[in-house]
Amino acid sequence: MYPFFRSLLVGVSALLLSTGLAFASDVAVSNPKVRLMPGDIPSAGYFKLHNGTNETIKLVGARSDAFGMVHMHMSMKKDGMAHMKAVPEIDVAAGEDFEFAPSGYHLMLMKRSAPLKVGDDVVITLEFEGRDPMPVSFKVVSPAAM
Amino acid sequence: MSKLLFPLFVVMILAGCTGEDWRTQDVSDVLPPLDFKLVNENGNTVTEQDYAGKATLLFFGYTHCPDVCPTTLARLRAILQQLDGTLRDRVQVLFVSVDPKRDTPESLATYTDAFGPEFIGLTGSKAQIDDIANRYRVSYSYDEPDESGNYNVSHSSAVLAFDDQGHPTFMAIQSEPNEAVKADVAKLAKMVGQH
Repeated sequence: MYPFFRSLLVGVSALLLSTGLAFASDVAVSNPKVRLMPGDIPSAGYFKLHNGTNETIKLVGARSDAFGMVHMHMSMKKDGMAHMKAVPEIDVAAGEDFEFAPSGYHLMLMKRSAPLKVGDDVVITLEFEGRDPMPVSFKVVSPAAM
Repeated sequence: MSKLLFPLFVVMILAGCTGEDWRTQDVSDVLPPLDFKLVNENGNTVTEQDYAGKATLLFFGYTHCPDVCPTTLARLRAILQQLDGTLRDRVQVLFVSVDPKRDTPESLATYTDAFGPEFIGLTGSKAQIDDIANRYRVSYSYDEPDESGNYNVSHSSAVLAFDDQGHPTFMAIQSEPNEAVKADVAKLAKMVGQH
C-alpha cells in the first residue's frame, strides 16, 4: 500500500538486525582505560573483553605505537605478598567476559614513546591467535581517578 | 573525693588511648613504634621524627609496579579526598621503596606527586630499607630480570597505620573493604593532637 514506507521499514529493520547481530556475534571491548603514570614509570591498561562469537578466542598479546613494550601481566597475592607474573595467553570461552582490572590482570605498558596526557586517547591493538588484530582506543586517565 | 577520682580518670583516659577499636586489623600490640632512617625525595636523610605530629599510613612498594601500588595509593587518595580538609591535613602517606636500585629520590617525587601532597616517597640504602622492612616484618624479593633487564619485585601489600606519636594502630590489607579503611583513617586523623 505504501511501498516506499514498507521498504524503508524493512530496510531499517534489516539494518537494526544486522548491527545487533554484528555486535552480538563479535568480540567487543568495553571501558578501555590506561592509567597513566608520570615519567618513565610503567603505566597499566585495563578493559573488559567480551567474546560474542560461538568459539573460544585466545588473546596472545597487545602492542601499541605509543609504548615500546606491552606485556600481559597478572598480579597475585601469596602469603600477604603482592607478586606479578607475565601471562603469555588468555582463553575466553564463547559468550564469556574477561576483565583486566586493578589488582588482577593488566596490560603493563613500558617504554612510552609518545607524549601522553590525561584525557588523550591511545590506540592499543589486541592480538589474537587465528583472528585479526583488534585496535582499541583507550582513554588515558589519571592514577588518582581509578 | 576529687583527689581520689582524678587518678582514676587519668587511668581511664590512658586506657582509652591504647585500647581503640579498629574495624581493620588491630596491630597496636604487635608492631613496634615508627622508627627509621631513610632518604627523602630531596635526597636528604630523614627519620621518623621528621614526620611526627601527623598520622602516618606506611606502605612498601616500588615505582615500576604498574598495578598493585598505584591501585593501593589511588585507594588511599580516594579515602583522603573524602575526609574534611582539616582531617586530611593530619594524615601523611609514606611510600617506602623496596627497589632503591631503580627508585631515585627524583623518580619517587614524580611518582608520589601523581597522587597528591599527602604522599611522600622514601628510599635509602639497601641496609636502611632492610632495617625498616625487618622492623615491620615486611618481606620483599626480586624476580629474575627479563631480556631487557626489567624485573618485578614481590612485596607485602598491607598499609600500616601509626598515630601522630608513631604508635602502631591498625593494618589494612588489600582485600579490606573501603568503608572499613575509611572509617579507621578518619578515626586516626581525629586522634591527632588528642594525647
